[in-house]
Amino acid sequence: MSDAKGGHMLRDELRQTLEQGLRDVEADWTVPAAIINDPEMHDAERERVFGRSWVFLAHESEISERGDYVVRYISEDQFIVCRDEDGEVRGHLNSCRHRGMQVCRAEMGNTSHFRCPYHGWTYNNKGSLVGVPAGREAYGNKLDKSLWQLKPVPKLDTYKGLIFGCLDPEAQSLEDYLGDMKFYLDIVLDRSDAGLEVVGAPQRWVVDANWKLGADNFVGDAYHTMMTHRSMVELGLAPPDPKFALYGEHVHTENGHGLGIIGPPPGMPLPEFLGMPESIVEQLQRRLSPEQVEVFRPVTFIHGTVFPNLSIGNFLMSKDHVSPPTSFLTLRLWHPLGPDKMEIMSFFLIEKEAPDWYKEESYQAYVRTFGISGAFEQDDAENWRSITRVLGAQYAKKTMELNYQMGRGVYEPDPDWPGPGKAFPMDYAEANQRNFMEYWMQLMVTDPAPHSGNGKVSDDAAAETLARAEA
Amino acid sequence: MTTATEITDTTVREATEWLFTEAELLDAGKYREWLDLVAEDLSYVVPLRVTREREAETDIVEGLTLMDDDWDSMEMRVLRLETEYAWAEDPPSRSRHFVTNIRVAAGEAEDEVAVKSNLLLYRTRGDVATFDILSGERHDVLRRVAGGYRLAKRVVVLDQTTVMTHNLALIM
Ligand code: FES
Ligand SMILES: [Fe+2]
Repeated sequence: MSDAKGGHMLRDELRQTLEQGLRDVEADWTVPAAIINDPEMHDAERERVFGRSWVFLAHESEISERGDYVVRYISEDQFIVCRDEDGEVRGHLNSCRHRGMQVCRAEMGNTSHFRCPYHGWTYNNKGSLVGVPAGREAYGNKLDKSLWQLKPVPKLDTYKGLIFGCLDPEAQSLEDYLGDMKFYLDIVLDRSDAGLEVVGAPQRWVVDANWKLGADNFVGDAYHTMMTHRSMVELGLAPPDPKFALYGEHVHTENGHGLGIIGPPPGMPLPEFLGMPESIVEQLQRRLSPEQVEVFRPVTFIHGTVFPNLSIGNFLMSKDHVSPPTSFLTLRLWHPLGPDKMEIMSFFLIEKEAPDWYKEESYQAYVRTFGISGAFEQDDAENWRSITRVLGAQYAKKTMELNYQMGRGVYEPDPDWPGPGKAFPMDYAEANQRNFMEYWMQLMVTDPAPHSGNGKVSDDAAAETLARAEA
Repeated sequence: MTTATEITDTTVREATEWLFTEAELLDAGKYREWLDLVAEDLSYVVPLRVTREREAETDIVEGLTLMDDDWDSMEMRVLRLETEYAWAEDPPSRSRHFVTNIRVAAGEAEDEVAVKSNLLLYRTRGDVATFDILSGERHDVLRRVAGGYRLAKRVVVLDQTTVMTHNLALIM
């Protein structure tokens, strides 16, 4: 069903569920179960959430050299994210302008040109069409190549090494979109002089679960660690207090972002600043603001989500039951493949100039506890698959509200918190999750404006900008 | 370097039997007993692969893996399964290791043999009538000890770059 503006309308029933959901999340602190695993919700979400939000594509270190590229996704659309011959970061739709063939079929590599395997149209890594086989015979040399460059990502920008793309040319700037979340992102992304690098490539695997469950978990769910990850407490990989994730601050910002910042359980001596090497601690105290340093000093765990599907884990954890803890940093993309299926991309990052011993220890702590084989993380996927399966059924969908009431009447926003956003003094809370779901539902009920969405006019405007920049 | 073992029919038979016994223990969930077959200097690695152009030297990623364990972390996994909280495998998956194309060659040390095998690992969970399959090639180093062999090294090269199972909770 299409409206005159080219956007898709919501069916009345869907709209009612969402509008009721918006009222309930405010008044009752509940969320309709129907938003999790439903084909129509998923369909609308592709356009209304992923068509409008800034979506993480890659880290700059993955394409550090000219010609480097990786292929990444916004919803189903795939983009070649590359560094062009002038060193600029670009994003091109991976689809030949002739018949739509993928011009790049590797996940990563280095090249100055992408040659379409179908008929051989060739594009440089700025996206310009530079070669058309038999151009004289077939097109009488009349094909205006400048009109047929690869479609650019309508908006592309980076923040402290993170490359994001957005399909909505009218979207607010990335800076504004991240807003107050930047204060916290800086603590993770900007604490060393040389910055971060992605080590190797992301692990990729498929889980039969809705992507929002991953985002919801990372944005604020410290509570689950007590049960889900209890085995890690028992074995001593996590602090020996089942409620270890309670002792933290629970913070969210505009646009659905949020995080938890967890310190050591009371009376438990754990190193400051995630136990990072001295050289990094020295740099971060110089680079970060006094407020950021204050926030970061007691930290043992940071978990968070940048709306919609980028999550961050910066954890102090032991690599096994006989070793002391080491911190590691992971970024995570919950890439939707359907209402009941996602691909997880899990990145491991490290400060480029960290000492080798730390790089090695950090890698081991990450790969053994998190990611596809991680002993800590395994139990999460199990939960999300199970939820997705159950909530895809008709009675569950129609009748269930999910309880997001944790902390209700228990605590008020923390007046002494030195950072921005709305902060609560305990990480066993669900304010972040409500904030995430509320923003998601708001996007879902907002119809595309006449001038925005994936409209042709704006798309051509973006292409024109590119053409002008090249001229 | 010491001289390599001569590969006899007996060696091939022993290595093959070792792999089959191992598969039986793993499919029966006898992880403790499996651990007894593992050397204390174990290295167990599942490399990360990516799709690359044919001209690329390798599709194996440097610096990151899907799994990189030693004896301590393997023991941790087994201990974890013995807690009451290892939800990922409780109820347990039903698995079947199909081990074929076994190739036995001399190892680097006198008491070691290098064994390659193909693995098809079938996994199913719960009452859902679906399954996951992992296919790959294993590169093992078996070390001869009194009364048999110990697994000293294993590299499992999986055939998918985007892995189609929700975790690598099973030992391959
Ligand atoms: S589809 Fe690419 S050249 Fe024809
Ligand atoms: Fe978790």
